[in-house]
Amino acid sequence: MVGPDGAGKSTLLQILSGILRPSFGECRVLGEDVRRHAERIQARVGYMSQGFSLYDRLSVAENIAFAAKIRDVPASAYAIRKRRLLDMAGLERFEARREAALSGGMRKKLALCANLIHEPPLLVLDEPSLGVDPLSRRELWRMLEAAKAAGRSIIFATSYMDEADASDRVLLLKDGRPLALGPPAELRKRAHGRVFSLRTNRADDVERALTRDARVLTFQKRSPEEFRVQLASNVLPSITDATLAPAQPSMEDAFTLISPDQLRETPAPAPPNTTQPGGVVVSARAVTHRFGAFVAVDDVSLEVKAGEVLGLLGPNGAGKTTLIRILCGLLAPSAGTAAVAGFDAARQSEEVRSRIGYVSQRFSLFLDLTPKENLLFFARAYGVPEDEITERIAWASARAGLGEDAGALVRSLSGAVRQRLALACAIVHRPRVLFLDEPTSGVDPISRFRFWRLIAAVAQSGVAVIVSTHYLEEATYCDRLGLMLDGRMIALDALAVLQKELGLEDASVEDVFLGFIQRERARSAA
Amino acid sequence: MKLSRISAFAHKETLEIVRDPITVWIALAMPLVMLFLFGFALSFDVKDAPLMIVDHDRSAQSRALSNQFLNTSYFAFAGAPEDERVAEHALMEGRARAILSIPPGFGRRLARGETAPVQFVVDGTYGATAAIVSAYGRAIIYAFPSGALELPIEPQVRVWHNPQLESRNFIIPGLFAVILMALSPLLTALAVAREKELGTIAQIYASPLTRWEFILGKLFPYVVIAALQLTLVLAAGFLWFKIPMRGSFPLLMGLGLIYVICTVSIGLLVSMIVRTQVAAMLVAIIITLMPAFLFSGFVYPIFTMPEFFQGYSARIPTMYFVNISRGVVMRGAGLEELWGNALVLIVYTAVVLFLAAWLFKKRIA
Repeated sequence: MVGPDGAGKSTLLQILSGILRPSFGECRVLGEDVRRHAERIQARVGYMSQGFSLYDRLSVAENIAFAAKIRDVPASAYAIRKRRLLDMAGLERFEARREAALSGGMRKKLALCANLIHEPPLLVLDEPSLGVDPLSRRELWRMLEAAKAAGRSIIFATSYMDEADASDRVLLLKDGRPLALGPPAELRKRAHGRVFSLRTNRADDVERALTRDARVLTFQKRSPEEFRVQLASNVLPSITDATLAPAQPSMEDAFTLISPDQLRETPAPAPPNTTQPGGVVVSARAVTHRFGAFVAVDDVSLEVKAGEVLGLLGPNGAGKTTLIRILCGLLAPSAGTAAVAGFDAARQSEEVRSRIGYVSQRFSLFLDLTPKENLLFFARAYGVPEDEITERIAWASARAGLGEDAGALVRSLSGAVRQRLALACAIVHRPRVLFLDEPTSGVDPISRFRFWRLIAAVAQSGVAVIVSTHYLEEATYCDRLGLMLDGRMIALDALAVLQKELGLEDASVEDVFLGFIQRERARSAA
Repeated sequence: MKLSRISAFAHKETLEIVRDPITVWIALAMPLVMLFLFGFALSFDVKDAPLMIVDHDRSAQSRALSNQFLNTSYFAFAGAPEDERVAEHALMEGRARAILSIPPGFGRRLARGETAPVQFVVDGTYGATAAIVSAYGRAIIYAFPSGALELPIEPQVRVWHNPQLESRNFIIPGLFAVILMALSPLLTALAVAREKELGTIAQIYASPLTRWEFILGKLFPYVVIAALQLTLVLAAGFLWFKIPMRGSFPLLMGLGLIYVICTVSIGLLVSMIVRTQVAAMLVAIIITLMPAFLFSGFVYPIFTMPEFFQGYSARIPTMYFVNISRGVVMRGAGLEELWGNALVLIVYTAVVLFLAAWLFKKRIA
């Protein structure tokens, strides 16, 4: 099941597990009616909700034992199954460890073990690999493939297109409605003739042309000479100095092109210009932050120049948010120094905070105010002079691609509009540095593309931008990448440089990340 | 219903509780703190009420009457002004709680065998204490040997059940009921709300666990903790405060156990309704702590309440255990007298648990 936040994925999965009664319609699972015999379905399925669903105060072994006992797993079968599952999950050495002390990836694998211990005929999984590190994600999938091979059906929601691509069938959901259902190859076929690879040696001119062309839906810069272009129709754009060749559509292309409101007009992002990165605005030296015995950020150093976009990539719990909070002056580091816009982030946090914009994971907006009232509040809170406020709000709204303010409350706006409003609020005081903490979680691909264009436009006006994300494919939108794992920065450079360093040209971001994880593990083992 | 599933659930719950030792310690310490606070602070006995004596007579008799007052532990001498207005002023400022005013000729009148009026003024700010002070004053005055006053009837007053009229003997058995109502449900109220907050409840929904298995497994560990609380407060009451026990300990413990099952069930019911732990805490306090204090007869007698609130009090289980506890401790009452109260508690518990089971839908809200 694929679809943006609010598409109805979780609700549908809950209905299929028998824990939510449908308002209308008929639904039979494992031969039982979900209205009349929900308890029979509940007793047999394995259902894994989003987030963490196990008892944090119980150990790995205790969690599995509990899951087995409430599902009447016979003691004779239990020991064998448990050993096999823990072995496959790579958790056998951690049996005595409390669930809360496991990494995000391990917790997810444990939850899957707890749902496989009664050997259910059907597994229902709600975004099982969301925010999990690439290595754990592969292990998780190995377990799921084994379950499939053992004859279990699996229904899962995901925001990873490669996972959807690997399924037998994909259901595309949006706004609670099914858009398409079929094998991935069939869905991808619908995007045939719309996806092209564009080669050029005048990338900047071509990028400007692509931005202006209404027939271009989205595009990604794959390398200094290559763009991947998605078209809104079958009519080819005429772009000089470039050669277009049909490309193999991906699942994400299919998703974007099958959405009926793909052409909904949003103001075109400001065209990029070619200003070179300016001076260093953010610099961190050997920054470390401990929460008790836990090291959230471990000896991280980085520099970001004006006009540059740095992407922080890593699974949940890698330390991205903590690092951003330190740079914003919201947290004092345990060791090391951070300078932002010429001030010490720890000791001069007041000065730092008036020169930065910060979009947090949940967009700190006031839901019961209109967008305009939100902007007005943030402008005044940051001390924008009264006589400049109107002009500044207009400027920030244009920059963030906000349309006409219809006076509706933020509460009633879609995720994509809220995202742009949060961006406008963060730049209304013309900050020198902009921090965005996972701003694109749960938004559909086309809105994500447009948001990244807005971010690029903000950067090109001379702002240093630091963005965190756990969508690795978004790396292509960043000038440089910082790969984070367990609090450490295991790699920091442009994607092309990182690929070359591993000798993996043209490798996906995920493979590059995996390469660095393996190198890091080998180094710490040595 | 499968015993293995109930015990698996109770075991899991116990592990979770034990791994949060701070909460367990608070749960065990709070009842004692409350018992000591109220046991020491709350008292209706009048001791050393400041008394001013305005003696216009200055005879041997008037001095004798004054001494009668001051020789008790109820009053303490606060001055003997010559002018009534000085004493009245002191009463208004709170420096005196009572004034004994003896008019001139008091001694002469008594000697002549006439009635000799004296004035006893009491500060009525605190109604309850004022009544006690004035009763003490009247008692002393009546007992004063007037010589002429020959009462045809001599009342021989005996106070049963609490001969020393120690209010502690009365308050502490009531406190047992209030404390176990105010504090025992709190932990349970958090129990289901915590699972909702953590998201672990979804795993329970999608499992063969039935509602009664869930409820009984959840209830059991908290009943054990509440039983510990019960033991602790009883021990402190009898060993530290040395409350005299006229009845049977096993009976009090047994009925106490029924009572805590009842209060813990109320906590579980609260937990079924709310979504967050904060809400659980607030609702639990509002529906248990407050009524337990006001409408249990613990301090404020129920029979003096307006009818509506008497009916309201009858809906709160605390009143029944106040009856049981005071009955066993102070009067040595047995089950043949208290079975009605116990039956109400059992029925109450059953109703609360059925309601909780009915509300537990095994469905996402």
